[in-house]
Amino acid sequence: MVDMSAKIGSLILRNPVMTASGTFGSGREYARFVDLEKLGALVTKGVSLRPWRGNSSPRIAETASGMLNSIGLQNPGVEVFCERDLAWLADIDVPVIVNVSGHSVEEYVAVIERLEREKSVAAYEVNISCPNVDAGGMAFGTECAPAAEVTRACRRASSRPLIVKLSPNVTDVAAIAKAVESEGADAVSLINTLLGMSIDASTRRPRLARVVGGLSGPAVKPVALRMVWQVAAAVRVPVVGMGGIMSAEDAVEFLLAGATAVAIGTANFVDPASTTRILSGLEAYCRDNAVERVADLTGALVTEG
Amino acid sequence: MCARAEDAALLERMEVLANDRICEGVGIVTLAAPRIAASVRPGQFVHLKVGSGTSVLLRRPFSVHRASGDAIEILYQVLGRGTRELSLRGAGDALDAIGPLGNGWTMPDGLTHALLVAGGLGAAPMGMLAERLSQRGVAVSFAQGAPNVSRLVARGLFESVSRRYECSTDDGSEGSRGLVTEVSARLLEAHPPDIVYACGPEAMQRAVASQALAAGVPCQVSLERLMACGVGACLSCVVGTVRGPERACFEGPVFDAADVLWDPSEIPPGH
Repeated sequence: MVDMSAKIGSLILRNPVMTASGTFGSGREYARFVDLEKLGALVTKGVSLRPWRGNSSPRIAETASGMLNSIGLQNPGVEVFCERDLAWLADIDVPVIVNVSGHSVEEYVAVIERLEREKSVAAYEVNISCPNVDAGGMAFGTECAPAAEVTRACRRASSRPLIVKLSPNVTDVAAIAKAVESEGADAVSLINTLLGMSIDASTRRPRLARVVGGLSGPAVKPVALRMVWQVAAAVRVPVVGMGGIMSAEDAVEFLLAGATAVAIGTANFVDPASTTRILSGLEAYCRDNAVERVADLTGALVTEG
Repeated sequence: MCARAEDAALLERMEVLANDRICEGVGIVTLAAPRIAASVRPGQFVHLKVGSGTSVLLRRPFSVHRASGDAIEILYQVLGRGTRELSLRGAGDALDAIGPLGNGWTMPDGLTHALLVAGGLGAAPMGMLAERLSQRGVAVSFAQGAPNVSRLVARGLFESVSRRYECSTDDGSEGSRGLVTEVSARLLEAHPPDIVYACGPEAMQRAVASQALAAGVPCQVSLERLMACGVGACLSCVVGTVRGPERACFEGPVFDAADVLWDPSEIPPGH
């Protein structure tokens, strides 16, 4: 029997497989395909203080082994989220990590303050890395000072573990990770999407209405692995690794690079049962390789010899 | 903890029974799909993994054109990488499918006469609809438009179940020369229906919707959007409606035309 548990701050997960924000709704849409109670944690779609309408269509474009999206954090606002999504999730035995978005530090704090009143929230993931909104989002995640400021304010507002989701659209991701760690982040998660673009040569038009969007899927995995490895070497807090994980083998690679847990994103669109398929495969990998605790894989990359 | 069995839309491997080219760039693929054939409603879709590996990463949504016995038929036009992959699948190949998905056409009680308007591959979600209406004894008028005579896809089916069938082609090779919206305008006036169903290019659907609504006739449209998940989670496929943004894969793909905000400027800008 493999010990599959994973520790994110004070949060003990039954296994290290989580969902990536924005790819899994609040779980309801996937309950037809996946036993949600098997997940290590369910990370919700980003939630803001007021409803956000999101961006114009087209919002996605498929690219080589990947996709671009510019959804723009469309969501009904924290009040509706609590009434509808959290109420539905209350009956399901899975740690719920709410992804929190805002246009300003005050908005992030206001969302957390509202969620503090809800029992069925296990932790927060602070989204300082969405490339698809004009104000807030990635603007907070590409420099150390604003990243630290948001983290400090959210830390004060929150009694729960705080995960800060980092942007890959930076020169030195480890520096940002250290900045949020020093302000009390319990963990960091990465990577959010890479800013990209796609053009239709026949019409000379961009394929996304907003022109640019975030790249995800297998195409980004090498970049994500490199960043997880750099960040894990720079901070003491746990790292949640994600970026193009399609298989259990991909998940193992992120753990070896230094991740304590992994999140499955774009793969859900391709195979809606990806999360539990990857979880089973990860457990089988541990059994086959005489790994007694999945946590032993974290950072077990072999670089000598 | 899983949703009720009746709304289960499951993942399934389906065998390709046939994949026939019906004219330049247009094919019809027949899949062995007993569960879907038995449960699909007109206007619903299946979400197919058309390629293997990650080069064509995302699934593609396809309306179910017809369902009979244990098989479903999908009408497709080769327009991009996904449909090119689908055109390469042959009998004996297997495809991953999720479905049936979405909300299809609704057929209100008491209908006596329906006008169906199909432009190009807008014929795809119309097959089952025309058949079911006809089986219910609803008189079907059909307006079909295409670039030329060879692209009047599924014409034989539509003619066989319709009380009245008229077509238009861009080049005048069959029917009247011009747009299908001219045919629909004529039919709406000459033989007023109880309801209009439209599918085709968005500009065409918008024009048909405005003709129908101006005549006081309810109209449903089946809207196409790029989709990633197909199950309501990713919000790629939203349509602007009077109720706010709705998902083509979940609340749609069929919408009441009176609810659709066609002009992007009608929709409040991003946040």
